Amino acid sequence: MSIRAGALRGVFGAPVSRYDQASAMWLLAPMLGVLLVVAVFPVLYSFWISLFDLRLTRPHRVPFVWFENYQEIFQDELFWQSVWRTTSFTLICVAAIMVIALAMALLLNEEFRGRRFLSAMLLVPWAIPYVANGLMWKWIYDSGYGALNGLLFQLDFIDKYMVWLGDQHKTLWLIANAFIWKEVPLATILVLVGLKSIPADLYSAARVDGANTWRRFVHITLPALRPSFMLVVIYETMMAIRHFDLFFILTEGGPAEASHVLAWHVYVETFRKLSFGTGSALAYIMALVTFFLAFWLIRTLGRKL
Amino acid sequence: MTQFRRRDFLKSSAAAALAGSSTFGALGRAFAADPVNFFAWSAGVDQVKAHVSAFEAKTGIKVSYGNAPWAQYRDTLVTKFVGKAPLDTLWVSDAWLPEWAEAGWLAPIDGYPQLTKYNSDVDDFSTKSMMWKGKQYGLTYYTDYMAFFYDEGMLQKAGIGAPPKTWDEVVQQSLKIKKAGLSEYPLMLSMARETWLIEFLSSLVFSHGGRFVDDAGAAVMQDKKKGAHEALTWIVNAVQKHKIVSPACVEIGELNGLKSFTSGQHAFAMLGRYRVRTLNDPKQSSIAGRVKQAMMPAGPNGKHATVGWNRFYGLTTAAAKDKAKAADTVKLIEWFGGKADGQYAFQKLMFLDVGSGFATKPLFKDPDIIKAYNQYSDIKMYEAQQKLAQKKDVVSPWFGEWDEVNGTAFQAAVIGKASVEDALKRSADTWNKLRRRA
Repeated sequence: MSIRAGALRGVFGAPVSRYDQASAMWLLAPMLGVLLVVAVFPVLYSFWISLFDLRLTRPHRVPFVWFENYQEIFQDELFWQSVWRTTSFTLICVAAIMVIALAMALLLNEEFRGRRFLSAMLLVPWAIPYVANGLMWKWIYDSGYGALNGLLFQLDFIDKYMVWLGDQHKTLWLIANAFIWKEVPLATILVLVGLKSIPADLYSAARVDGANTWRRFVHITLPALRPSFMLVVIYETMMAIRHFDLFFILTEGGPAEASHVLAWHVYVETFRKLSFGTGSALAYIMALVTFFLAFWLIRTLGRKL
Repeated sequence: MTQFRRRDFLKSSAAAALAGSSTFGALGRAFAADPVNFFAWSAGVDQVKAHVSAFEAKTGIKVSYGNAPWAQYRDTLVTKFVGKAPLDTLWVSDAWLPEWAEAGWLAPIDGYPQLTKYNSDVDDFSTKSMMWKGKQYGLTYYTDYMAFFYDEGMLQKAGIGAPPKTWDEVVQQSLKIKKAGLSEYPLMLSMARETWLIEFLSSLVFSHGGRFVDDAGAAVMQDKKKGAHEALTWIVNAVQKHKIVSPACVEIGELNGLKSFTSGQHAFAMLGRYRVRTLNDPKQSSIAGRVKQAMMPAGPNGKHATVGWNRFYGLTTAAAKDKAKAADTVKLIEWFGGKADGQYAFQKLMFLDVGSGFATKPLFKDPDIIKAYNQYSDIKMYEAQQKLAQKKDVVSPWFGEWDEVNGTAFQAAVIGKASVEDALKRSADTWNKLRRRA
């Protein structure tokens, strides 16, 4: 049954026009109300909280301190160390994900026996929840009974079990590896979609012009993949900056702060020290950094599209 | 069809109400009264429920029991307190006492002689662990300490006749075991960043005759003469110089350490005393029957001291304010933490069922407990070491914040990222800063 627009009545009984903005707003109002309560209010309230020295375990004294929490954070050496670690982690992860995803997508874009099976298998890491992924890598990296030591020992690459997560120089790389393993499938799919959308005519024409494989890759494939790359870079950068689960499960920021990243810093301040004022301020700083980074990436990369 | 009229309905309702009031009169108080709200972490849940049921049957006081996992317990309870959730009594860790007492969430029990009368039966360190600023805040639920275990079979294979008495002897015996090819890392130490870390560190410091803070509460951990320096130096040397402790110790938590020791990879281990039941259980341990407890080795100025911890029944301020509620709650606390029907029934039940330790001295003479414990360990050793247990000296309102930094500082020294001096200075500076701020 079709309903004619003219047969509908607006909220005040007036007929509804297809372009009646006021009625549309009234219809959207409940959802806007929900958004105000569950999204806008908490965001504004957390900013308000960040201006107080609010410790849950000291409920009787909650002084208003203006921007002192922010000032303290910027003077804290550990904060800057965690910023540096977060930056390193993000750069390592995004770069590796881009390269591996491109290679995987190029492979899956070719016709070969078992391609469908490989494509299906590729999704497995992506389908595993982060917590399960973390626990799995904890078993793999364990210095006493981990699969990595077992494998390397059996292959005679090592003559005794190595320390992995307990080694401050390896920790961040190993966590990055677990993150990359989980994130590569999605990135591959996004790049693969980009590859599939490149018209075959372009390659045929290039072949006629005598372009070899490398030149076709550089001059046709890579430029055509820019939108996909932009999407992957922005998404994975945001994911890496905010990532918490693996740090929580694998190292708890250790050993000796070797994996103390920004997201972990927020967690420790907020939920271990129960210092909600500082925790909110940190979360705000992190959110603003993420926002401006995304904005910059979209503007910079988007301009080149 | 006969119609059921409004008048009939009212009549039958009134009759049902009258019948109900007489038939269930005995249960009336239990269901109508405000229950005592009791919250605990999810340990011994079946035992707690059974004991609650017995209490309800005996007194007619209704109890509303809830629990949360240990890992989320502190956060859960703080949120409940802040949100003014109904709470009358709860399990409290000694580590949180100053924080919760200062916040005004816990009430002292000094005014209830029916509870404090049990102090004479309880180990001194356990009672001290329930005190803050001269007031007692609870009755013990469970008490234990950090113990030193050894694999007797491995020591015999290495030609060692007796377990080490000092930390120097631990090094010497470990090197001998290592040389004999029996274990690559003879001593198992868990140094991962978790709540257990401070217990391991405290026992090492105390056994070296050391302190983290003095009686006035000022940091002394950085002082080379106060034991903490000696203890951390010993750990660092054990890992880096003698290589008798795995460098992976910073990623090994207490549970993984237990598994590692039960797999037969080590000769010595520091673990919670209650773990001896698992260590000597053939279903869970490949070294079952060979694990013995020794007194905590002593440092040059130490006396086999170790750290003890206490978990207790706290009374909330909200319950204490209401006389009737407080009276019911105190009865429940006594039922669990004191005597029920003339005996320490719940502590005994928890010991026999799940192996939880106790600080109630008469239980060391209980024939059931002696018989049960001697099946897998030595009750005399248990008691002797407990007499030398000390409460953690760093428990304060800022303990949680300081512990974050201290754990990291100790780890930094162990992995060679910082010197022993720098690590302890950082820890002490943090302590003093937090103390000043409080």
